[in-house]
Amino acid sequence: MTDARSLGYRRGLVDLAAGRISREIFVNEEIYREELERLFARAWLFVGHESQIPKPGDFFVSGMGEESVILCRDRTGKVHVFLNSCRHRGMKVCRYDEGTTPVFTCPYHGWSYGTDGKLVGVPYFREAYHEKLDKSLWGLIEVPQLCLYKGTVWASWDPMAPPFLEYLGDFVGYLDLTLDGWDGSEGGTEILGGIQKWLIPCNWKFPAENFCGDSYHNISHRSVDLVGIGPSGSGRRDMQERQMARRLHVAFYERGHQTGVYLFPKDQPMPPSYQHSPVVAEYFAHCEAERRKKRGEWARVIGSPGEIFPNTALHPRQPRTIAVWHPRGPHQTEVWRWYLVDASAPPEVKDFLRDYYIRYSGPAGMTEQDDMENWNYAHAASRGTIARRYPYSYEQGLGFETERYEWQGLHIPGTVMDITEAKSSEHNLRNLYRRWAEFMEAESWDELATWRFARAAE
Amino acid sequence: MSEPVNIRLLDPGTRIVLDDGATAEIVSNPLDGVWLFARYLTAPDDPARVGSEEMIFAQDVVEIQDGP
Repeated sequence: MTDARSLGYRRGLVDLAAGRISREIFVNEEIYREELERLFARAWLFVGHESQIPKPGDFFVSGMGEESVILCRDRTGKVHVFLNSCRHRGMKVCRYDEGTTPVFTCPYHGWSYGTDGKLVGVPYFREAYHEKLDKSLWGLIEVPQLCLYKGTVWASWDPMAPPFLEYLGDFVGYLDLTLDGWDGSEGGTEILGGIQKWLIPCNWKFPAENFCGDSYHNISHRSVDLVGIGPSGSGRRDMQERQMARRLHVAFYERGHQTGVYLFPKDQPMPPSYQHSPVVAEYFAHCEAERRKKRGEWARVIGSPGEIFPNTALHPRQPRTIAVWHPRGPHQTEVWRWYLVDASAPPEVKDFLRDYYIRYSGPAGMTEQDDMENWNYAHAASRGTIARRYPYSYEQGLGFETERYEWQGLHIPGTVMDITEAKSSEHNLRNLYRRWAEFMEAESWDELATWRFARAAE
Repeated sequence: MSEPVNIRLLDPGTRIVLDDGATAEIVSNPLDGVWLFARYLTAPDDPARVGSEEMIFAQDVVEIQDGP
Protein backbone atom coordinates (compact mmCIF):
# COMPACT_ATOMS: atom_id res chain seq x y z
CA MET A 1 0.00 0.00 0.00
CA THR A 2 1.24 3.47 -0.83
CA ASP A 3 2.39 5.55 2.12
CA ALA A 4 0.25 8.59 1.40
CA ARG A 5 1.82 10.91 3.96
CA SER A 6 5.34 10.29 2.75
CA LEU A 7 4.34 10.93 -0.85
CA GLY A 8 2.86 14.28 0.07
CA TYR A 9 -0.65 15.12 -1.02
CA ARG A 10 0.13 18.21 -3.00
CA ARG A 11 3.35 17.24 -4.69
CA GLY A 12 3.00 13.51 -5.07
CA LEU A 13 -0.67 12.67 -5.34
CA VAL A 14 -2.28 15.94 -6.44
CA ASP A 15 0.05 17.57 -8.93
CA LEU A 16 -1.89 20.64 -10.02
CA ALA A 17 1.03 22.21 -11.87
CA ALA A 18 1.09 19.25 -14.22
CA GLY A 19 -2.66 18.59 -13.99
CA ARG A 20 -2.27 15.03 -12.75
CA ILE A 21 -3.93 13.30 -9.85
CA SER A 22 -3.08 9.86 -8.57
CA ARG A 23 -5.78 7.20 -8.57
CA GLU A 24 -4.64 6.34 -5.06
CA ILE A 25 -6.70 9.17 -3.57
CA PHE A 26 -9.85 7.43 -4.85
CA VAL A 27 -9.10 3.84 -3.89
CA ASN A 28 -6.56 3.82 -1.05
CA GLU A 29 -7.94 2.66 2.33
CA GLU A 30 -5.36 4.62 4.34
CA ILE A 31 -6.14 7.86 2.52
CA TYR A 32 -9.84 7.28 3.04
CA ARG A 33 -9.37 6.87 6.81
CA GLU A 34 -7.43 10.10 6.86
CA GLU A 35 -10.18 11.90 4.91
CA LEU A 36 -12.68 11.08 7.64
CA GLU A 37 -10.49 12.80 10.21
CA ARG A 38 -9.10 15.69 8.19
CA LEU A 39 -12.07 16.58 5.96
CA PHE A 40 -15.30 15.31 7.41
CA ALA A 41 -14.47 16.09 11.04
CA ARG A 42 -13.34 19.64 10.19
CA ALA A 43 -15.38 21.00 7.29
CA TRP A 44 -18.93 22.38 7.26
CA LEU A 45 -21.41 19.74 6.11
CA PHE A 46 -25.01 20.00 4.95
CA VAL A 47 -27.41 18.31 7.38
CA GLY A 48 -30.94 19.14 6.26
CA HIS A 49 -33.63 21.75 5.82
CA GLU A 50 -35.70 23.46 8.47
CA SER A 51 -38.90 22.64 6.58
CA GLN A 52 -38.22 19.00 7.51
CA ILE A 53 -38.60 19.81 11.22
CA PRO A 54 -41.24 22.55 11.42
CA LYS A 55 -42.65 21.74 14.90
CA PRO A 56 -41.11 21.17 18.36
CA GLY A 57 -40.20 17.50 18.72
CA ASP A 58 -39.74 16.98 14.96
CA PHE A 59 -36.60 15.15 13.94
CA PHE A 60 -34.79 13.98 10.81
CA VAL A 61 -31.94 11.48 10.95
CA SER A 62 -29.12 12.70 8.73
CA GLY A 63 -25.41 11.98 8.33
CA MET A 64 -22.07 13.74 8.67
CA GLY A 65 -19.27 11.79 7.06
CA GLU A 66 -19.83 8.16 8.06
CA GLU A 67 -21.74 9.09 11.19
CA SER A 68 -25.45 9.19 11.85
CA VAL A 69 -26.75 12.43 13.34
CA ILE A 70 -30.14 13.61 14.54
CA LEU A 71 -31.41 16.97 13.32
CA CYS A 72 -34.22 17.99 15.67
CA ARG A 73 -36.19 20.88 17.07
CA ASP A 74 -36.51 20.90 20.86
CA ARG A 75 -39.53 21.88 22.94
CA THR A 76 -38.54 25.54 22.83
CA GLY A 77 -38.15 25.53 19.05
CA LYS A 78 -34.33 25.53 19.03
CA VAL A 79 -32.63 23.44 16.33
CA HIS A 80 -29.95 20.90 17.35
CA VAL A 81 -27.73 18.34 15.64
CA PHE A 82 -26.66 15.39 17.81
CA LEU A 83 -24.53 12.32 17.22
CA ASN A 84 -27.02 9.46 16.97
CA SER A 85 -25.27 7.30 19.53
CA CYS A 86 -26.12 6.55 23.15
CA ARG A 87 -23.48 7.72 25.63
CA HIS A 88 -23.83 4.45 27.59
CA ARG A 89 -22.91 1.80 24.97
CA GLY A 90 -23.19 3.61 21.65
CA MET A 91 -26.46 2.16 20.33
CA LYS A 92 -28.39 4.41 17.94
CA VAL A 93 -30.96 6.27 19.98
CA CYS A 94 -33.07 6.93 16.90
CA ARG A 95 -33.65 4.31 14.22
CA TYR A 96 -36.42 6.08 12.31
CA ASP A 97 -35.75 8.27 9.29
CA GLU A 98 -37.94 11.09 10.59
CA GLY A 99 -40.84 11.78 12.92
CA THR A 100 -41.92 13.54 16.08
CA THR A 101 -40.98 12.53 19.61
CA PRO A 102 -40.63 13.91 23.13
CA VAL A 103 -37.56 11.72 23.84
CA PHE A 104 -34.89 9.64 22.10
CA THR A 105 -34.68 6.35 23.95
CA CYS A 106 -31.89 3.85 23.54
CA PRO A 107 -33.42 0.41 23.02
CA TYR A 108 -30.33 -1.36 24.45
CA HIS A 109 -30.37 -0.38 28.16
CA GLY A 110 -33.01 2.34 28.12
CA TRP A 111 -31.08 5.59 28.57
CA SER A 112 -33.34 8.35 27.33
CA TYR A 113 -32.63 11.87 26.09
CA GLY A 114 -34.79 14.95 25.66
CA THR A 115 -34.96 16.72 22.30
CA ASP A 116 -32.49 19.23 23.79
CA GLY A 117 -30.01 16.36 24.17
CA LYS A 118 -30.12 16.20 27.96
CA LEU A 119 -30.02 12.76 29.59
CA VAL A 120 -33.43 12.53 31.27
CA GLY A 121 -34.02 8.83 31.85
CA VAL A 122 -31.61 6.31 33.39
CA PRO A 123 -33.08 2.94 34.37
CA TYR A 124 -32.45 2.07 38.03
CA PHE A 125 -30.99 5.51 38.68
CA ARG A 126 -31.83 5.22 42.36
CA GLU A 127 -31.17 1.52 42.85
CA ALA A 128 -28.15 0.75 40.66
CA TYR A 129 -26.48 4.15 40.41
CA HIS A 130 -27.48 5.24 43.94
CA GLU A 131 -28.29 8.61 42.33
CA LYS A 132 -24.53 9.18 41.92
CA LEU A 133 -24.44 9.39 38.10
CA ASP A 134 -24.08 13.03 37.02
CA LYS A 135 -26.64 13.15 34.21
CA SER A 136 -25.47 16.58 33.11
CA LEU A 137 -22.20 15.00 31.88
CA TRP A 138 -23.86 12.33 29.77
CA GLY A 139 -26.14 14.15 27.33
CA LEU A 140 -26.08 13.44 23.59
CA ILE A 141 -22.97 14.70 21.83
CA GLU A 142 -23.89 17.91 20.05
CA VAL A 143 -22.08 19.54 17.14
CA PRO A 144 -20.05 22.49 18.42
CA GLN A 145 -21.04 24.61 15.42
CA LEU A 146 -24.40 24.87 13.72
CA CYS A 147 -25.69 27.37 11.18
CA LEU A 148 -29.19 27.93 9.84
CA TYR A 149 -29.04 29.69 6.50
CA LYS A 150 -32.14 30.44 4.42
CA GLY A 151 -33.81 27.26 5.62
CA THR A 152 -30.78 25.01 5.24
CA VAL A 153 -28.99 23.49 8.24
CA TRP A 154 -25.19 23.13 8.27
CA ALA A 155 -22.89 21.79 10.96
CA SER A 156 -19.22 21.23 11.70
CA TRP A 157 -17.60 18.97 14.28
CA ASP A 158 -14.67 21.37 14.56
CA PRO A 159 -15.08 24.15 17.13
CA MET A 160 -12.15 25.95 15.50
CA ALA A 161 -13.66 26.04 11.99
CA PRO A 162 -14.56 29.55 10.83
CA PRO A 163 -18.27 30.44 11.02
CA PHE A 164 -20.26 29.07 8.09
CA LEU A 165 -20.67 32.36 6.25
CA GLU A 166 -16.95 33.03 6.53
CA TYR A 167 -16.32 29.47 5.31
CA LEU A 168 -18.42 30.35 2.23
CA GLY A 169 -16.95 33.80 1.62
CA ASP A 170 -18.33 35.46 -1.52
CA PHE A 171 -19.49 32.04 -2.71
CA VAL A 172 -22.65 32.70 -0.69
CA GLY A 173 -24.01 34.56 -3.72
CA TYR A 174 -23.85 31.34 -5.72
CA LEU A 175 -25.44 29.28 -2.93
CA ASP A 176 -28.27 31.80 -2.95
CA LEU A 177 -29.03 30.84 -6.55
CA THR A 178 -30.27 27.54 -5.09
CA LEU A 179 -31.85 28.84 -1.89
CA ASP A 180 -33.61 32.05 -2.88
CA GLY A 181 -37.08 32.17 -4.35
CA TRP A 182 -37.25 31.91 -8.13
CA ASP A 183 -38.61 35.44 -8.16
CA GLY A 184 -35.47 36.70 -6.39
CA SER A 185 -36.99 36.93 -2.92
CA GLU A 186 -34.73 36.00 0.03
CA GLY A 187 -35.01 32.32 0.94
CA GLY A 188 -38.46 30.79 0.79
CA THR A 189 -37.67 27.29 -0.43
CA GLU A 190 -39.09 24.08 1.00
CA ILE A 191 -38.32 20.42 0.51
CA LEU A 192 -40.51 18.68 -2.03
CA GLY A 193 -41.39 15.10 -1.12
CA GLY A 194 -38.99 12.76 0.64
CA ILE A 195 -35.22 12.49 0.51
CA GLN A 196 -33.90 10.10 -2.12
CA LYS A 197 -31.11 7.84 -0.80
CA TRP A 198 -29.12 5.28 -2.70
CA LEU A 199 -25.74 3.57 -2.83
CA ILE A 200 -23.19 3.77 -5.63
CA PRO A 201 -20.10 1.53 -5.76
CA CYS A 202 -17.58 4.34 -6.18
CA ASN A 203 -15.50 6.73 -4.13
CA TRP A 204 -17.41 9.84 -2.97
CA LYS A 205 -15.10 12.13 -4.96
CA PHE A 206 -16.34 10.82 -8.32
CA PRO A 207 -19.79 12.42 -7.93
CA ALA A 208 -18.27 15.38 -6.07
CA GLU A 209 -15.98 16.32 -8.97
CA ASN A 210 -18.75 15.69 -11.46
CA PHE A 211 -20.95 18.29 -9.77
CA CYS A 212 -18.10 20.82 -9.52
CA GLY A 213 -18.72 21.64 -13.15
CA ASP A 214 -17.63 18.72 -15.27
CA SER A 215 -19.19 19.91 -18.51
CA TYR A 216 -16.93 17.53 -20.43
CA HIS A 217 -19.12 14.55 -19.62
CA ASN A 218 -22.23 15.84 -21.40
CA ILE A 219 -21.72 13.22 -24.08
CA SER A 220 -22.87 10.71 -21.44
CA HIS A 221 -26.29 12.33 -21.47
CA ARG A 222 -26.63 12.40 -25.22
CA SER A 223 -29.20 9.61 -25.22
CA VAL A 224 -31.33 11.44 -22.65
CA ASP A 225 -31.13 14.62 -24.67
CA LEU A 226 -32.27 12.67 -27.72
CA VAL A 227 -35.20 11.18 -25.83
CA GLY A 228 -36.23 14.65 -24.71
CA ILE A 229 -37.26 14.24 -21.09
CA GLY A 230 -37.18 18.00 -20.56
CA PRO A 231 -40.32 20.01 -19.92
CA SER A 232 -39.82 22.52 -22.71
CA GLY A 233 -41.01 20.62 -25.73
CA SER A 234 -37.90 18.92 -27.03
CA GLY A 235 -34.27 18.33 -26.13
CA ARG A 236 -32.75 20.12 -23.19
CA ARG A 237 -34.95 22.53 -21.26
CA ASP A 238 -32.17 25.10 -21.05
CA MET A 239 -30.73 24.89 -24.58
CA GLN A 240 -31.87 28.37 -25.62
CA GLU A 241 -30.45 29.87 -22.43
CA ARG A 242 -27.14 28.13 -22.99
CA GLN A 243 -26.81 29.38 -26.53
CA MET A 244 -27.15 33.07 -25.71
CA ALA A 245 -25.18 33.20 -22.44
CA ARG A 246 -21.48 33.18 -21.55
CA ARG A 247 -20.68 29.84 -19.93
CA LEU A 248 -18.35 30.21 -16.95
CA HIS A 249 -16.60 27.98 -14.47
CA VAL A 250 -16.05 29.81 -11.19
CA ALA A 251 -13.68 28.61 -8.46
CA PHE A 252 -12.82 29.97 -5.02
CA TYR A 253 -9.21 28.98 -4.47
CA GLU A 254 -9.02 29.71 -0.76
CA ARG A 255 -12.29 27.97 0.08
CA GLY A 256 -12.54 25.00 -2.27
CA HIS A 257 -16.04 25.86 -3.50
CA GLN A 258 -16.84 26.02 -7.20
CA THR A 259 -19.72 26.22 -9.62
CA GLY A 260 -20.73 26.69 -13.19
CA VAL A 261 -22.85 29.71 -14.14
CA TYR A 262 -24.46 31.15 -17.24
CA LEU A 263 -24.05 34.89 -17.66
CA PHE A 264 -26.75 36.51 -19.73
CA PRO A 265 -26.14 39.48 -22.03
CA LYS A 266 -27.24 42.83 -20.67
CA ASP A 267 -30.91 43.61 -21.29
CA GLN A 268 -31.57 40.26 -22.91
CA PRO A 269 -34.95 38.71 -22.00
CA MET A 270 -35.02 35.12 -20.78
CA PRO A 271 -36.23 32.72 -23.47
CA PRO A 272 -39.44 30.82 -22.75
CA SER A 273 -39.34 27.40 -21.15
CA TYR A 274 -41.72 24.80 -19.67
CA GLN A 275 -43.91 25.04 -22.74
CA HIS A 276 -45.40 21.64 -21.89
CA SER A 277 -47.49 23.32 -19.22
CA PRO A 278 -48.95 26.82 -19.70
CA VAL A 279 -49.46 27.25 -15.94
CA VAL A 280 -45.85 26.39 -15.19
CA ALA A 281 -44.51 28.42 -18.11
CA GLU A 282 -46.44 31.47 -16.92
CA TYR A 283 -45.26 31.00 -13.34
CA PHE A 284 -41.59 30.93 -14.31
CA ALA A 285 -41.93 33.80 -16.78
CA HIS A 286 -43.50 35.89 -14.01
CA CYS A 287 -40.76 34.89 -11.56
CA GLU A 288 -38.00 35.77 -14.03
CA ALA A 289 -39.46 39.24 -14.51
CA GLU A 290 -39.66 39.73 -10.74
CA ARG A 291 -36.14 38.44 -10.24
CA ARG A 292 -34.75 40.99 -12.65
CA LYS A 293 -36.51 43.78 -10.79
CA LYS A 294 -35.25 42.62 -7.39
CA ARG A 295 -31.70 41.55 -8.26
CA GLY A 296 -30.75 43.99 -10.99
CA GLU A 297 -27.56 43.08 -12.85
CA TRP A 298 -26.95 39.99 -10.68
CA ALA A 299 -30.15 38.52 -12.18
CA ARG A 300 -28.11 37.97 -15.34
CA VAL A 301 -26.30 35.18 -13.45
CA ILE A 302 -28.04 31.83 -13.85
CA GLY A 303 -26.99 28.87 -11.74
CA SER A 304 -25.46 25.62 -12.88
CA PRO A 305 -24.13 22.65 -10.88
CA GLY A 306 -21.63 23.46 -8.16
CA GLU A 307 -20.12 22.13 -4.98
CA ILE A 308 -19.56 23.44 -1.50
CA PHE A 309 -16.42 21.79 -0.19
CA PRO A 310 -16.22 18.96 0.47
CA ASN A 311 -19.37 16.98 -0.33
CA THR A 312 -22.45 19.17 -0.81
CA ALA A 313 -23.58 19.49 -4.41
CA LEU A 314 -25.81 22.28 -5.66
CA HIS A 315 -28.07 21.95 -8.66
CA PRO A 316 -29.79 25.33 -8.73
CA ARG A 317 -31.43 25.44 -12.12
CA GLN A 318 -34.05 22.69 -12.29
CA PRO A 319 -34.19 20.12 -10.99
CA ARG A 320 -33.33 22.37 -8.05
CA THR A 321 -31.63 20.04 -5.63
CA ILE A 322 -29.01 19.67 -2.95
CA ALA A 323 -27.10 16.39 -2.86
CA VAL A 324 -24.71 15.07 -0.26
CA TRP A 325 -22.09 12.46 -1.13
CA HIS A 326 -21.80 10.50 2.11
CA PRO A 327 -18.60 8.42 2.26
CA ARG A 328 -19.26 4.76 3.00
CA GLY A 329 -15.76 3.40 2.77
CA PRO A 330 -13.32 4.14 -0.06
CA HIS A 331 -15.33 2.10 -2.53
CA GLN A 332 -18.90 3.18 -1.82
CA THR A 333 -20.93 6.39 -1.66
CA GLU A 334 -24.40 6.91 -0.25
CA VAL A 335 -26.15 9.71 -2.08
CA TRP A 336 -28.87 11.73 -0.40
CA ARG A 337 -30.76 14.17 -2.56
CA TRP A 338 -33.11 16.90 -1.37
CA TYR A 339 -35.49 18.52 -3.90
CA LEU A 340 -36.40 22.16 -3.44
CA VAL A 341 -39.24 24.29 -4.67
CA ASP A 342 -40.53 27.74 -3.87
CA ALA A 343 -42.78 27.27 -0.85
CA SER A 344 -45.15 29.82 -2.37
CA ALA A 345 -45.37 28.11 -5.79
CA PRO A 346 -48.87 27.00 -6.90
CA PRO A 347 -49.69 23.30 -6.41
CA GLU A 348 -49.72 22.75 -10.20
CA VAL A 349 -46.12 23.95 -10.39
CA LYS A 350 -45.01 21.74 -7.51
CA ASP A 351 -46.71 18.69 -9.04
CA PHE A 352 -45.17 19.39 -12.43
CA LEU A 353 -41.71 19.78 -10.92
CA ARG A 354 -42.07 16.62 -8.84
CA ASP A 355 -42.65 14.61 -12.02
CA TYR A 356 -39.77 16.31 -13.80
CA TYR A 357 -37.37 15.88 -10.87
CA ILE A 358 -38.15 12.17 -10.59
CA ARG A 359 -37.51 11.44 -14.25
CA TYR A 360 -34.32 13.53 -14.28
CA SER A 361 -32.52 12.87 -10.97
CA GLY A 362 -32.07 10.14 -8.40
CA PRO A 363 -31.65 6.38 -8.80
CA ALA A 364 -34.54 6.18 -11.27
CA GLY A 365 -33.84 9.46 -13.03
CA MET A 366 -32.57 9.04 -16.54
CA THR A 367 -29.80 11.63 -16.31
CA GLU A 368 -28.40 10.46 -12.99
CA GLN A 369 -28.40 6.84 -14.19
CA ASP A 370 -25.93 7.84 -16.89
CA ASP A 371 -23.63 9.39 -14.32
CA MET A 372 -23.78 6.41 -12.01
CA GLU A 373 -22.73 4.07 -14.80
CA ASN A 374 -19.61 6.17 -15.33
CA TRP A 375 -18.62 6.54 -11.67
CA ASN A 376 -19.25 2.87 -10.94
CA TYR A 377 -17.06 1.52 -13.73
CA ALA A 378 -14.41 4.23 -13.49
CA HIS A 379 -13.89 3.36 -9.84
CA ALA A 380 -13.83 -0.38 -10.44
CA ALA A 381 -11.31 0.02 -13.25
CA SER A 382 -9.01 2.13 -11.07
CA ARG A 383 -8.61 -0.27 -8.13
CA GLY A 384 -6.18 -2.73 -9.67
CA THR A 385 -2.48 -2.90 -8.95
CA ILE A 386 -1.55 -1.83 -12.47
CA ALA A 387 -4.29 0.77 -12.83
CA ARG A 388 -3.16 2.56 -9.66
CA ARG A 389 0.23 3.29 -11.18
CA TYR A 390 -1.25 5.67 -13.74
CA PRO A 391 -2.67 9.09 -12.80
CA TYR A 392 -5.78 10.75 -14.18
CA SER A 393 -5.43 13.81 -16.39
CA TYR A 394 -6.78 17.17 -15.20
CA GLU A 395 -4.93 19.34 -17.70
CA GLN A 396 -7.91 20.81 -19.55
CA GLY A 397 -7.69 24.60 -19.69
CA LEU A 398 -4.72 24.72 -17.33
CA GLY A 399 -3.37 28.28 -17.24
CA PHE A 400 -6.35 29.95 -18.94
CA GLU A 401 -8.06 31.21 -15.79
CA THR A 402 -9.00 34.84 -15.23
CA GLU A 403 -8.65 36.48 -11.83
CA ARG A 404 -10.96 39.44 -12.39
CA TYR A 405 -13.62 38.45 -14.87
CA GLU A 406 -16.10 41.03 -16.10
CA TRP A 407 -18.53 40.98 -19.00
CA GLN A 408 -20.83 43.77 -20.10
CA GLY A 409 -20.41 45.60 -16.82
CA LEU A 410 -20.86 42.73 -14.39
CA HIS A 411 -17.96 41.45 -12.29
CA ILE A 412 -18.10 37.75 -11.41
CA PRO A 413 -16.60 36.89 -7.97
CA GLY A 414 -14.07 34.06 -7.96
CA THR A 415 -11.43 32.83 -10.38
CA VAL A 416 -13.17 32.31 -13.69
CA MET A 417 -12.69 30.15 -16.74
CA ASP A 418 -14.82 31.31 -19.67
CA ILE A 419 -15.72 28.15 -21.55
CA THR A 420 -18.12 29.72 -24.03
CA GLU A 421 -15.74 29.02 -26.88
CA ALA A 422 -13.54 26.42 -25.16
CA LYS A 423 -16.70 24.38 -24.39
CA SER A 424 -15.16 22.74 -21.34
CA SER A 425 -12.48 22.98 -18.68
CA GLU A 426 -11.26 21.13 -15.61
CA HIS A 427 -10.64 24.37 -13.74
CA ASN A 428 -13.26 23.65 -11.06
CA LEU A 429 -12.18 20.04 -10.65
CA ARG A 430 -8.61 21.13 -10.00
CA ASN A 431 -9.94 23.52 -7.38
CA LEU A 432 -11.72 20.71 -5.55
CA TYR A 433 -8.50 18.72 -5.33
CA ARG A 434 -6.42 21.78 -4.46
CA ARG A 435 -8.56 22.27 -1.38
CA TRP A 436 -8.70 18.55 -0.72
CA ALA A 437 -4.90 18.41 -0.60
CA GLU A 438 -4.74 21.45 1.67
CA PHE A 439 -7.18 19.87 4.13
CA MET A 440 -5.27 16.60 4.05
CA GLU A 441 -1.99 18.32 4.85
CA ALA A 442 -3.02 21.12 7.21
CA GLU A 443 -2.76 20.47 10.91
CA SER A 444 -5.15 23.27 11.90
CA TRP A 445 -7.46 26.00 10.66
CA ASP A 446 -4.59 28.43 11.07
CA GLU A 447 -3.21 26.92 7.88
CA LEU A 448 -6.57 26.57 6.12
CA ALA A 449 -8.12 30.01 6.68
CA THR A 450 -5.57 31.75 4.48
CA TRP A 451 -7.94 34.63 3.69
CA ARG A 452 -7.45 35.77 7.29
CA PHE A 453 -3.73 36.32 6.66
CA ALA A 454 -4.48 38.50 3.65
CA ARG A 455 -6.92 40.57 5.68
CA ALA A 456 -4.46 40.91 8.54
CA ALA A 457 -1.72 42.00 6.12
CA GLU A 458 -3.97 44.70 4.74
CA MET B 1 -44.28 -13.67 38.58
CA SER B 2 -46.76 -11.43 36.74
CA GLU B 3 -46.92 -11.09 32.95
CA PRO B 4 -44.95 -8.11 31.57
CA VAL B 5 -47.10 -5.06 30.88
CA ASN B 6 -47.02 -3.68 27.35
CA ILE B 7 -46.67 -0.03 28.28
CA ARG B 8 -47.07 1.11 24.68
CA LEU B 9 -50.79 0.38 25.07
CA LEU B 10 -51.28 2.57 28.15
CA ASP B 11 -53.07 5.89 27.76
CA PRO B 12 -52.65 9.01 29.89
CA GLY B 13 -54.82 8.71 33.01
CA THR B 14 -54.12 5.00 33.44
CA ARG B 15 -53.02 4.07 36.95
CA ILE B 16 -50.10 1.70 37.36
CA VAL B 17 -48.53 -0.26 40.21
CA LEU B 18 -44.73 -0.22 40.47
CA ASP B 19 -42.44 -2.94 41.79
CA ASP B 20 -41.67 -1.04 45.01
CA GLY B 21 -45.40 -0.91 45.83
CA ALA B 22 -45.87 2.70 44.72
CA THR B 23 -48.74 3.72 42.43
CA ALA B 24 -48.75 6.37 39.75
CA GLU B 25 -50.96 7.92 37.10
CA ILE B 26 -49.69 8.21 33.56
CA VAL B 27 -49.32 11.80 32.38
CA SER B 28 -47.97 11.06 28.89
CA ASN B 29 -46.62 8.14 26.94
CA PRO B 30 -43.76 8.68 24.46
CA LEU B 31 -44.61 5.25 22.98
CA ASP B 32 -40.98 4.12 22.96
CA GLY B 33 -41.87 0.99 24.98
CA VAL B 34 -39.27 1.92 27.58
CA TRP B 35 -40.55 4.95 29.50
CA LEU B 36 -43.74 6.55 30.81
CA PHE B 37 -44.18 10.01 32.30
CA ALA B 38 -46.27 9.54 35.45
CA ARG B 39 -47.26 11.28 38.67
CA TYR B 40 -46.87 9.39 41.94
CA LEU B 41 -50.11 8.76 43.82
CA THR B 42 -48.62 6.69 46.64
CA ALA B 43 -45.05 5.85 47.57
CA PRO B 44 -44.74 3.72 50.70
CA ASP B 45 -40.92 3.73 50.60
CA ASP B 46 -40.59 7.46 50.02
CA PRO B 47 -43.75 9.50 50.72
CA ALA B 48 -41.97 12.67 49.53
CA ARG B 49 -42.38 11.45 45.95
CA VAL B 50 -46.18 11.61 46.09
CA GLY B 51 -47.37 14.26 43.65
CA SER B 52 -44.06 14.45 41.78
CA GLU B 53 -43.85 13.65 38.09
CA GLU B 54 -41.10 11.28 37.00
CA MET B 55 -40.10 9.05 34.15
CA ILE B 56 -41.06 5.47 34.96
CA PHE B 57 -39.02 2.62 33.48
CA ALA B 58 -41.07 -0.10 31.78
CA GLN B 59 -39.58 -2.89 33.87
CA ASP B 60 -40.70 -1.14 37.06
CA VAL B 61 -44.37 -1.37 36.00
CA VAL B 62 -45.85 -4.46 37.67
CA GLU B 63 -49.50 -4.14 36.76
CA ILE B 64 -52.35 -1.86 35.82
CA GLN B 65 -54.40 -0.76 38.80
CA ASP B 66 -58.07 -1.68 38.55
CA GLY B 67 -60.81 0.79 39.34
CA PRO B 68 -60.57 4.41 40.43
